[in-house]
Amino acid sequence: MAKLLDKQRYKCALGAMQTVQAITRAIPILHSGPGCAQKLSDSTGGSGYFSPNIFPCTSINEKDVVFGGVKKLHSTIDNALKVIDADLYVVLTGCIPEIVGDDTQEVVSEFDRISQQERFEEAGGDPGKFVYKPLIYASTAGFKGNNYKGHEQIIDAITDQYLKRSDDRQKGLVNIWADVPYQDLFWLGNIRELEKLLSEIGLIPNTIFGYNRGIENIDKIPHAEFNLLVSPWVSVRNMKKMEKKLGIPYLHYPTLPIGAYETSKFLREVGAFAGVDEQKIQKVIEEHENYYYYLIERYADLFLENRVINKEFSVIADAQYALGITKFLANDLGLIPAKQFITDDTPKEYQAAVREEFKKLNYGLQADAVFETDSYRIHNEIREHDYHGYPLILGSYYEKELTESLKGNYLNIAWPVQDKVVFDDFYAGYTGGIRLIEDIYTVAVQRFN
Amino acid sequence: MSYKIAAASSDHINIDLSFGAAQAFDIYEVEDGRYSLAERRIYNAPDGCITEGCGSLGCGNGGAKGCGGEGNSPKVDMLSDCRCIICRKIGFNITKQLEKKAITGFDVDCTAEEALEKITDYYSRLDAHKSLRGFAKEDLRQDF
Repeated sequence: MAKLLDKQRYKCALGAMQTVQAITRAIPILHSGPGCAQKLSDSTGGSGYFSPNIFPCTSINEKDVVFGGVKKLHSTIDNALKVIDADLYVVLTGCIPEIVGDDTQEVVSEFDRISQQERFEEAGGDPGKFVYKPLIYASTAGFKGNNYKGHEQIIDAITDQYLKRSDDRQKGLVNIWADVPYQDLFWLGNIRELEKLLSEIGLIPNTIFGYNRGIENIDKIPHAEFNLLVSPWVSVRNMKKMEKKLGIPYLHYPTLPIGAYETSKFLREVGAFAGVDEQKIQKVIEEHENYYYYLIERYADLFLENRVINKEFSVIADAQYALGITKFLANDLGLIPAKQFITDDTPKEYQAAVREEFKKLNYGLQADAVFETDSYRIHNEIREHDYHGYPLILGSYYEKELTESLKGNYLNIAWPVQDKVVFDDFYAGYTGGIRLIEDIYTVAVQRFN
Repeated sequence: MSYKIAAASSDHINIDLSFGAAQAFDIYEVEDGRYSLAERRIYNAPDGCITEGCGSLGCGNGGAKGCGGEGNSPKVDMLSDCRCIICRKIGFNITKQLEKKAITGFDVDCTAEEALEKITDYYSRLDAHKSLRGFAKEDLRQDF
C-alpha cells in the first residue's frame, strides 16, 4: 500500500459504493461508521433515485465494537429490503467491522437464504409473484486498498455471488468494462462512446453502468461472446475471474482510445478479436477519420501558430488517463511528453506493463512515466523540470495553483475535480479527441485575450 | 489503572433498566482488568421530578435539568466518576451529556456479567494499546 503524505487522489475501498450507485437501481448497504458515506460522497453528480445521503448504514459506534455489530447489520439489511425498492443490494464493509471481525459474509448469505425463502412463501410459492431481491456482499475495508481496488471488489462480488455460467451465448454480444464510475469524471460519456463505436462495427455492446442500464444488463453478462476491458490495470483481475468462472474470454486493451490514431487502432484490434470483416471496420474508420481530419484541417492555423500551445506537457492522473492522454497528445497533436505521473497506486505487478505502454509512442517518442502518489514530490518534480517555456498540465485540482505559479496552461481532468462540470462529456473515441482538443485550446487561447 | 463502571440493574444480574428508570446503579470497581461490585449508588431525585422513571413522559424539569432540559442531569453528575454506564436504553440527550464528560453509555440487552466481561476486556486492550483485531469473534477474544 502506498505511503501518502500529501493530497491524495483517490478514496478508500469503501468509495466503491459509487460503483454500486452507478448501477441503476442498485443500492449499497454500508456496514461502517456514520461518517463514511458522507466523507466519500464529495463529488457532484451523485444525487438521484439513490444518493449517498440515504444509503442505509449501520452507523456502528463504540458499543458495536465491544458487543459486535452483527445484530445491527441484520436489522439494517432487513429494513433496507423492506423500505427500499431496488434491484440489487450490495452490503459493503468499512474498516471497523473488518478489524474487529464481524462475520459479514455469514450474516449476508444466511440472511439472503432466509429472506428469499420467506418472500417466496409470502408469494404463496408462486414464482410469478415472488420478487427476487439479490443481496450480495463485498469486503471494502479502507485498509485493503483504494477505491480502484474497491471497484474490482464489487465486480468480483457480482461475478462470485450473483452470476451463473451460461452456455447460451449471443453472437456479437460484448461486455465493455472501462472507467471507475465517479472517480473518473467522464465515465458515463466514455462508456457510451465506446458502446457506440462497437455498435458501428456490428457488435452488440453490453454495459452495466449509467442510465437505462442495470440488473438486466448484469443478467446479460454470462451470455456475452467476450469481455472487452479498456483500462491499463483496473479490472484485469475481474476479467480473469470471469474467464475462469463464466468461461468468457477477454480482450485487454490497455489504452483508453482518444483521438483518431488510437481509436482506429482500437477498432481494428477489437474487430480482429471478434472476427469482424476487415473491410467493414475500414469503412467505419474512414468515415470517422474523414470528419476528424476535416476538423483538424479547419483549425490547422491554430495548431500551427506556435505561440499558442505549450512545447511540453505532463499528465498527473490515474493510469487510464495518464496513458490515454499522453498517447493522444503525442500521436495526434505532436506534442512532446515531459514526465508523466501515475497517481492511482498501481499495483506492483502491473507497473512494468503500464510503463512499457508509455514507450509505444509514434515518431520514435518515449514518455517517462513514474508511479507517485505523494503530491509534494510530484509538484517538486514539475517545478524542477524545464518545459522549454510554460508547461501544459493536465491533472487534478491540486495542480491548479502550481500551474498558475508556473504561468502554464492547466486543465482539470482527474479527481479531485473542482474546476469542471461534466454531465456526459467524454474524451474517448474520435469525438472525444476533438473534445479534448477543444478543452485544451480553450484554455490556451485565453492567454492571449 | 483502575476505573469504575455503573450498571443499571434491578437484580444485580441482568441489565434490565433504562437510564431514566434506574433509581440506583451498581458501581463496579475494575482493577487490572478484574471487576468487583463496590457499592450501590442510590439516586435521590430533586423535588418535582417523577421518581418512578420518567421514561417517555419526559418531565422537562427545568430545575432538575433532566429529561431534555438544559445543562446536566443530576443523575449524570452523580455518575461522573465512572468510565462507562451500562443500561438497557439511554436517551439521546443523556448520551450527549455523558459524551461531554467522556463517559461512554452502552445500551445493551444482556446480563451484567457478560457486559462487564466484554467491556473490561475492551478497555484492557485499549489501555495496553493492543489491537482490537478479531474482537467481535468470541473464540478469538478468549485467547487474549
